[in-house]
Amino acid sequence: MNNLQLLLAEDDNLLASLLNYRLKKEGYNVSIAANGKEVKEYLSTNIPDIIVSDIMMPYLSGLELIDFVRKDLKYNTPIIIISSAGNEENVLSAFELGANDFIAKPVNPSELIVRVARELNKV
Amino acid sequence: MKSKDLFSHLSNLEAQLSSFSFEELTAKEASKLKKSFQSFKNSLDEKVLEKSIPNNQKKVVKVKQTSEEMLIANVSHEIRTPLNGIIGFTDLLLESKLSKNQLEHVNAIQSASSNLLDIINELLEYSKLSSGLEHFEFTDFNFYSIIRDVMFLCNTLILDKDVKLEVDMDTNIPEVLIGDPSKLSQILLNLIGNAIKFVEKGDIHLRIALKEEKEGNVLLEFDVVDTGIGISEENLKHIFKTFNQGEQNTYIKYGGSGLGLSIVKQIVETLKGEISASSTLGVGTTFKFILPYKKGSKANLVKIENPPKDLNQKLDVVKNMNILIFEDNPLNQRLIEQRLKVWGCKTYVSESGVHGLNILENNKIDLVLMDLRMPDMDGFQVTQKIRNNKNIYIRKIPIIALTADFSIKDKEQCQKYGINDYVLKPYSPDELLLKLTKNKKDMEIHIVESKKINPENMVGSPTDINLDEILEECLGEVDLLQELVGLYKQNVLEFIGNIKVELKTKNFKALEFASHKIKPGLAMMKTFSLHAIAEEMHGVCKTNKDLKYMEFLYNCFLDEYPVVEKAIDNEVKRLRN
Repeated sequence: MNNLQLLLAEDDNLLASLLNYRLKKEGYNVSIAANGKEVKEYLSTNIPDIIVSDIMMPYLSGLELIDFVRKDLKYNTPIIIISSAGNEENVLSAFELGANDFIAKPVNPSELIVRVARELNKV
Repeated sequence: MKSKDLFSHLSNLEAQLSSFSFEELTAKEASKLKKSFQSFKNSLDEKVLEKSIPNNQKKVVKVKQTSEEMLIANVSHEIRTPLNGIIGFTDLLLESKLSKNQLEHVNAIQSASSNLLDIINELLEYSKLSSGLEHFEFTDFNFYSIIRDVMFLCNTLILDKDVKLEVDMDTNIPEVLIGDPSKLSQILLNLIGNAIKFVEKGDIHLRIALKEEKEGNVLLEFDVVDTGIGISEENLKHIFKTFNQGEQNTYIKYGGSGLGLSIVKQIVETLKGEISASSTLGVGTTFKFILPYKKGSKANLVKIENPPKDLNQKLDVVKNMNILIFEDNPLNQRLIEQRLKVWGCKTYVSESGVHGLNILENNKIDLVLMDLRMPDMDGFQVTQKIRNNKNIYIRKIPIIALTADFSIKDKEQCQKYGINDYVLKPYSPDELLLKLTKNKKDMEIHIVESKKINPENMVGSPTDINLDEILEECLGEVDLLQELVGLYKQNVLEFIGNIKVELKTKNFKALEFASHKIKPGLAMMKTFSLHAIAEEMHGVCKTNKDLKYMEFLYNCFLDEYPVVEKAIDNEVKRLRN
């Protein structure tokens, strides 16, 4: 077990369940937040090693989340954005705000695992 | 062959592409464009360089006639597909947000690539004729209306010039003849089109005389006379030869591949006719050709169903219609395009199935006119693709077949493939107008009345669900899969409830959010028939916010879901065992 903390911000419970299962299998300590409120609550008491966030979520979009982490919390935590197809503009904004990587829906869990590991290796 | 032309267009295209900034494009569009170009270039290199210059010689080797034709046939076919890709994606690029500079570049790519396509089409036609692959018809047709069509079209080719176009026709010519009407119009359009190109001021005369009529055999003599620049005696000798243009600098001034006249000669000769040309420099040129026909009978002409009653009313119906035309013959393309434009329709023309489907997916199209015989995919195959499209609006689009030979077999196939109606070539404007109004109305009624989607029209069958892939993503854990299926059902039911409520309050923002939200889950469980409906709902919310149509889609979803749910349960059962 690598015991790394991973925050998964995803409001689609279906995708969240699958990713949760696969990431846990890889040894990550996964916390799921289904909306912006839960994200903020989690971040007020925890500093995750990496964040995986959907770009479209209720109350707090993925973009706002990046901004919050980088500007308000001033964390360098790697952030990987999950974006739906045809949302390329937002991906650019995500990178500008400080996202480290992105993965497009439909998410291939194996690909996400590789991308997560890659970001963590950089740190 | 004029590979020089191809290469100059190619290098032109390449220069445009490389100077183009991909910054503001999506990575996908940019890479597809690049890929199209690469494969295009590769096939050209392969076919032209390697085959015609086998020993790495730098000099252009003169290839023998037969192998040259083979080469042309191969090259044209192979180049068209990637080139259509380039053109299609360039069209797409034009629709995206571009800076002024980028717009100029894309326009340059578009014009360079469509020039190239014109040349390749001519090459292909030439090679088809040379190899005897071209199909010739033998049918009753109204000679006078063909001439009228040709003149109508030729007049549209004359742009603010001091050129007059006149017809002088022997009225003893029988009205109905038997032969190939589309080839006749092709010959005339080519010769008159040339004349229009070369005459800056003056007259162009088309004279048609009845040379002989004996026992039902009709011999017609056509003269196309212009007062253009003329052709020197020396050059006149070679005028019908392949890749030959009157003067060395003709290409520079007028463009073209130099194939037009050799194509005309081949057609005339295949129709057992004769063609000749005479000219005086500075005075003008006369093309004379003789074609044999048989006398036809009016009874064999396909009758127009109803005489048009209220023309203005019909014109109102078709005005502003967006019509996509699948047609590979450039002259027919122009003819129908012009006619529809006169009626105020917006037209999109595609000569290949792939390119046209692309247009269909990216534009609002009200109706499709489909030539049944096309080179890459025939009209039936394209129709099948349209009827299987994931977008419900595209699946339901009215399709009218354009065909010259409408045998019983075609009629059956039309029904089988979902072609709504047909127009026989050559058709009169009235006929086309009637079909357009009829099918447009049909569609409107259809959308309002129909409350059910025929499951056969769906993308794949709703019961055809395969969860192997997702089970693999669950690392083979059927329990996890079961859990995901549970969440899936819960989400769908929630979605149905949401839509029901928000339809009542007409809250399109909420409808848009809900239909967007449900999509990934529907895709994950491979329930693509439901996904297609949700996708369509999302589209409607973003665009015209048509409440009636939303209700229709919602009902489709309701009808569809129980079937899908059962299929998923069966699939989970299968995977458990």
